[in-house]
This record gives sequence, C-alpha cells and structure tokens, in this order.
Amino acid sequence: MDANTSEIALVDRATETAVQQRARFERDALQYTNQLYAAALRYTKDPHDAQDLVQDTYAKAYVAFHQFEPGTNLKAWLYRILTTTFINTYRKDQRRPQISDGELEDWQIYDAASHTSDQGRSAEDVALDGIADLDVKAALAAMPEEFRMAVYLADVEGFSYKEIAEIVGVPSGTVMSRLHRGRKMLRESLAEYAKTRGFNRGKGGAGDE
Amino acid sequence: MRKPAVSIEVKGVRAMSELHAIPCDQVLQTLVLYIDHELATEQDYQIYQIHFQECPPCHELLVHESESLSFMQNLLRSACNEQAPEDLHDRIRRQISVMSATAQVEYFSQTTITNFSFDGTTSIQVTQEFTTEIRHDFTDGE
Repeated sequence: MDANTSEIALVDRATETAVQQRARFERDALQYTNQLYAAALRYTKDPHDAQDLVQDTYAKAYVAFHQFEPGTNLKAWLYRILTTTFINTYRKDQRRPQISDGELEDWQIYDAASHTSDQGRSAEDVALDGIADLDVKAALAAMPEEFRMAVYLADVEGFSYKEIAEIVGVPSGTVMSRLHRGRKMLRESLAEYAKTRGFNRGKGGAGDE
Repeated sequence: MRKPAVSIEVKGVRAMSELHAIPCDQVLQTLVLYIDHELATEQDYQIYQIHFQECPPCHELLVHESESLSFMQNLLRSACNEQAPEDLHDRIRRQISVMSATAQVEYFSQTTITNFSFDGTTSIQVTQEFTTEIRHDFTDGE
C-alpha cells in the first residue's frame, strides 16, 4: 500500500503539462487493465460487458485524472470508478432488491464463539483441494452482488475494509459484515461443489484440469 | 468501524493477569479482524499476541482459521486471474489518444443562405451548413 509516496515529489501538478499528465496516466493507470478486467468479469458476468466497463472506467478516469491526488492509492481510485460505473450503468437489474444493511450488523465471525466450535473444517479444505477454477468462478458468480464484491475486493485484491468501504460507498462496518457472510456463503458453496465432484468422480476424484 | 473494546495498556512485563485483558470469547469473536490486519492499533495486536501465547486453544483456532482463509484466497486468486484481451488494451490506448487530441474541441455551426438567380427573375435559395472545428490541442502545451 502507498508504495508511490516518492511520486509526490516527482509530480508537480501545477506545472505538469497535458502531455506529461497523459504519460503519467498511461504509465501508472494502464498497468491495472488486467486486474480491472478480472474484477469487471465478476461484476458483469459477461466478457463483452466487462470489456466495455473497463474501457468506460478508463475514459472516466482519464477525464478526472487531474483530480487524483498523486501518492494516494491509484488502484483503489480506479476500482471506485469501476464500481460506480458498474452500479450506475451496467447493472442489469437496477431494481433488484437490496439487502438492507441493518440486517448485516452482526459481523462476529463465529456463530458460537467457543473453542469447541468448527471442528472438522480442515477436512472440508482437504476436499476443496482439487476444486476447479470453473467451480470457484461459478460459486462466486452465484453469490449476491454485495457479498461477491466484498469477498472479491478483500480476498483477491487485498483491499482493506476502509478501502472497500470507499470503493463500494458503504460504511466499514457494512463491509465487515458483507465480507464475513460472503466468505461463509462461498465456503459452503465450494463445499457443495466439492461434494458433487466427489459423487461424480468417485473417492478422492480431484485430479484433472 | 467498531473497535475491539481493549483498553489495557501493555507494558514490558507480561503478568498472567494480562491474559485476561481480553477474554477468549472476545478474541474469538474478533479473530477475523486480527487475521485481516484490521485491528485498530499496534497495541491491540500485542494484546492479542499475548493472549495467543498464553492460550493454546485460541492459538490453535487462529492457525486453523488463518490457513483456512488463505486457502480460500489462493483458490480465488488462481481462479480469477483472467487477462484482458489484447484488443481491449488497444481500444483503451486508442481512446486515450482520441480523448487527448479532442479534449477541448469546440464546434461552431454556421448557416449560409445564398440567393442565386440564373435568369434574373427566378430566385433559388441555397442553404449550406458549415461546421468549424476549433481545436485546442493538448499537444500544443497550454
């Protein structure tokens, strides 16, 4: 995080010409194209929409780049544009019922907070060992959007709760609860996939792909 | 964000009583914050670490949960690492070129009406529209 603090000294936006600004954009922002595309695939679930979304994101980012504060987190800034663009433009079902944040305030990780809970999860992980990338993508895609985004941004992109809160536009506490519930959903769903694979391919059948 | 309600100051000496600075149920309820590096202060980490040193069952759960989470994160990361098609990289670069070239283009439309008369009596009116592009090209400097 904040790896670009030295950039502050190098960029004086008051004297930077448009040509220099464009070069800086191409150098610093375009390196995230692959990552933004993978995120856009999670958001839109469609390769064509994902490409359009990333292109729109860069168009907006380019226009607004003079507002970006050098030295702050450029990746998070781009993800915020990606996310708001998706929510405002690409989300197929705009009137999809949102899960109210009030329901999600209980963010404690364990349903039973005691040493004796959660026995046998290791076995579950072992079962997941050979799970295919396609199954992981399908499990993620099947999750409600809020949870999918929270899990993706935290567990794939490594953003902090606070960064995710800014990207998605919700309070940190909401991020925390969505992340917790999202991880739990995903874990359960992956376990289902693993079980199905087990039935289809016999004992220990997790070899191919 | 709600912070773990930890207020005991950790000094150099680790008294046994400090194990109880934070009880097991509280550690377990907020374990995810520890694993996600989301505790509020460095001091909070020290308090949790002391607890884990002194409490093998909590430590065992910490290890288990950390491994379980990083296992899932690895699954996700290896599944979700699609590369953007080369065409998309090109499209974005082309778009930036176009946007920087036409960043401040203004268009003026102008209509000219001309009256022609071939034979001196019949008048034909011709309407022509011109679009003028005024370009303030970024590459000129500002």
